[in-house]
Amino acid sequence: MLSIDNLQASVADKPILRGISLEIKAGEVHAIMGPNGSGKSTLSNVLAGRENVRVTGGKVTYRGKDLLAMEVEERAREGVFLAFQYPVEIPGVGNVYLLKAALNAQRKHRGLPELDAMDFLALVKDKMKLMEMNESMLYRAVNEGFSGGEKKRNEILQMAVLEPHLSILDETDSGLDIDALKIVANGVNSLRSPERSMILVTHYQRLLDYIQPDFVHVLAGGRIVRSGGPELAHELEREGYAWIGDAQSQTVAAQ
Amino acid sequence: MNPFVEYCQSQLALRVAEAPSQEASRHSAWARFENVGWPTTRLEAWKYTSLAGLEKITPPTESFAELTWDFLKDHALLPDAKHRMVFIDGVFHEGLSRLDRLPQGVRIGPWSLLQDAERSDLVPRLMPAQTMTAFGALNEALFTDGAVIQVSGGAHLDEPLLLLHVTRGMHHGVQYVHLGENSEMTVVEQHLNLTDLPCHGNFATAIQLSPHSRLTWIKVQQGGAQSYHTAAVHAQQQQGSQLRYFPFALSGAMGRNDITIRLVETHAEVILKGVYQVADRSLQDFHTSIEHDCPECISDECFKGVLDGTGRAVFDGRVRVALDAQKTQSRQSNHNLLLSDKAEVDTKPQLEIFADDVKCSHGTTVGQLDETQWFYLRSRGVDKEVARTLLIKAFVKEIAEAVPHVEVRQALLHWLGTEEEEGFRHV
Ligand SMILES: Nc1ncnc2c1ncn2[C@@H]1O[C@H](COP(=O)(O)OP(=O)(O)OP(=O)(O)O)[C@@H](O)[C@H]1O
Ligand SMILES: [Mg+2]
Repeated sequence: MLSIDNLQASVADKPILRGISLEIKAGEVHAIMGPNGSGKSTLSNVLAGRENVRVTGGKVTYRGKDLLAMEVEERAREGVFLAFQYPVEIPGVGNVYLLKAALNAQRKHRGLPELDAMDFLALVKDKMKLMEMNESMLYRAVNEGFSGGEKKRNEILQMAVLEPHLSILDETDSGLDIDALKIVANGVNSLRSPERSMILVTHYQRLLDYIQPDFVHVLAGGRIVRSGGPELAHELEREGYAWIGDAQSQTVAAQ
Repeated sequence: MNPFVEYCQSQLALRVAEAPSQEASRHSAWARFENVGWPTTRLEAWKYTSLAGLEKITPPTESFAELTWDFLKDHALLPDAKHRMVFIDGVFHEGLSRLDRLPQGVRIGPWSLLQDAERSDLVPRLMPAQTMTAFGALNEALFTDGAVIQVSGGAHLDEPLLLLHVTRGMHHGVQYVHLGENSEMTVVEQHLNLTDLPCHGNFATAIQLSPHSRLTWIKVQQGGAQSYHTAAVHAQQQQGSQLRYFPFALSGAMGRNDITIRLVETHAEVILKGVYQVADRSLQDFHTSIEHDCPECISDECFKGVLDGTGRAVFDGRVRVALDAQKTQSRQSNHNLLLSDKAEVDTKPQLEIFADDVKCSHGTTVGQLDETQWFYLRSRGVDKEVARTLLIKAFVKEIAEAVPHVEVRQALLHWLGTEEEEGFRHV
């Protein structure tokens, strides 16, 4: 599904990602954890195509194609979805309009007929039930005035409508109350399938209790300093990131 | 004398020859124009608005084809307007207009069909608009025709009136509006310049609102690469009257609107909300002046500008609150979206507040397209350009959404390309 090979990237000429390699197969869920400022969002943004992050080295292959050569919207239509750590408010653009435009752009790209308003609404309302969202949200502007939790749910609603091959959830669990966390996890789990892969960026074991990852990686200082199975998340929960200093110097020594 | 003024002078001779009885008034207006002088950038009010382009345009030599409603309706904001007046090249066109279904108490007709006595009665009432600028004086000297709208007390125009002005040459027109006590109407004034050839329309509009009358006015300006539009609007509001004026300057080489609104009795309210859009080599200029002459009036003004390419815009918003205009509430804002680093806006709010017990605010912003919002839309699969357009439309949509008349609002939203969202609400 996704193969990241020695990826390096800078923001405002400051190197942030310093050689990341990661292999994600179809059907796998990978959790990425790590201290604040370690580059998790930057990695997520590079994969989605954010232009203020400059790739300075490395390669990313997505379903056999060079991901980094694609435009932002092309990646989305090819099935890459980023749930933002901070979903963006867009006054004046209706939520339902964006959902429809997004879905139809994807369908067109894949040679499918566009959905008309009726079929589209039926589909969206169905997904909204799953997310336990109030229908009135559809007719509000994108994320405008939404509470923190509502914004996160809205991200997962978009994901549920678009059914991406590769979902990158950047701290979707932050700011959710316990019930909302379950609902969001439910939404995510409903999309889990052998054809779909996910990257979950999170700080807490909590989310992983609901969405079992296949692998857990620790990102620090722009590198993956440790990888393991689900048990690694438990270990981090207990022990924090104090050990990272040693791990990093070991990596440097090994090089 | 520049070629434009020379041409105007030749027009003056023609107008006088057509109607010798108007000689004195037209000549005195011309003298006033000469006295005021051709506006140059040396004048404060024209500092950022060069008329160099207009000075050079020449009158059309070709004769234009007869226009049909079938053709025009595709361009009209309200193609099915129940009431409409169409002016082609400054002259009322009876065949294209439709005024046979006006309700009791509403009188709408062309200036050219007025009786002499009535005409001389109304001439002074246009003066407030025609004395605002040099173009106002030019208008008085040269105008050919116009709309005369009189609504008597308590009357109510059931559906909006469309005033469609198609200008292909160089013309001057007037609009006179008088609303009687507690009457109400909505007007859509649309300027269509359907040519890339040089053309200029110059308009003077005088509005008088009696106590508790309510007027909603939407103005849409569109034009080609060489079309020029100048307009002076003067409104006077009596007690408890409401004016909602929405100008949309969407295209054309240059537009200059001078809008003066005088609140002369208590509890009058004005909403003045507009949009200007400019792209390569075009300019839009709004000079507005809201005058709170007496207590307890409300004004709410907001202009939004979208500037692309080498486009330029000017917003000069004056709000004057007289010494005894206590309890005035006034809001003014001007927001600009710069889409290119070659575009330029000059914005100048001027608050002159002499009363002390007032609530007045103003604010100005100049910003670029929000990169994060753009990325967000694209990350959902929305095409780069579509996303850009969507954000631009979202920016100006707020103004169209303030239009109270539902069908006109829908038509405007449709026109600005934002109707799809509206459409969903009715599914
Ligand atoms: N526009 C920017 N200009 C300068 N530095 C930036 C910019 N954007 C991000 N950074 C820096 O890049 C580093 C990585 O940021 P990133 O957002 O990827 O961290 P993160 O791992 O997602 O952190 P968190 O857990 O707090 O969300 C940080 O040091 C941050 O300050
Ligand atoms: Mg982050």
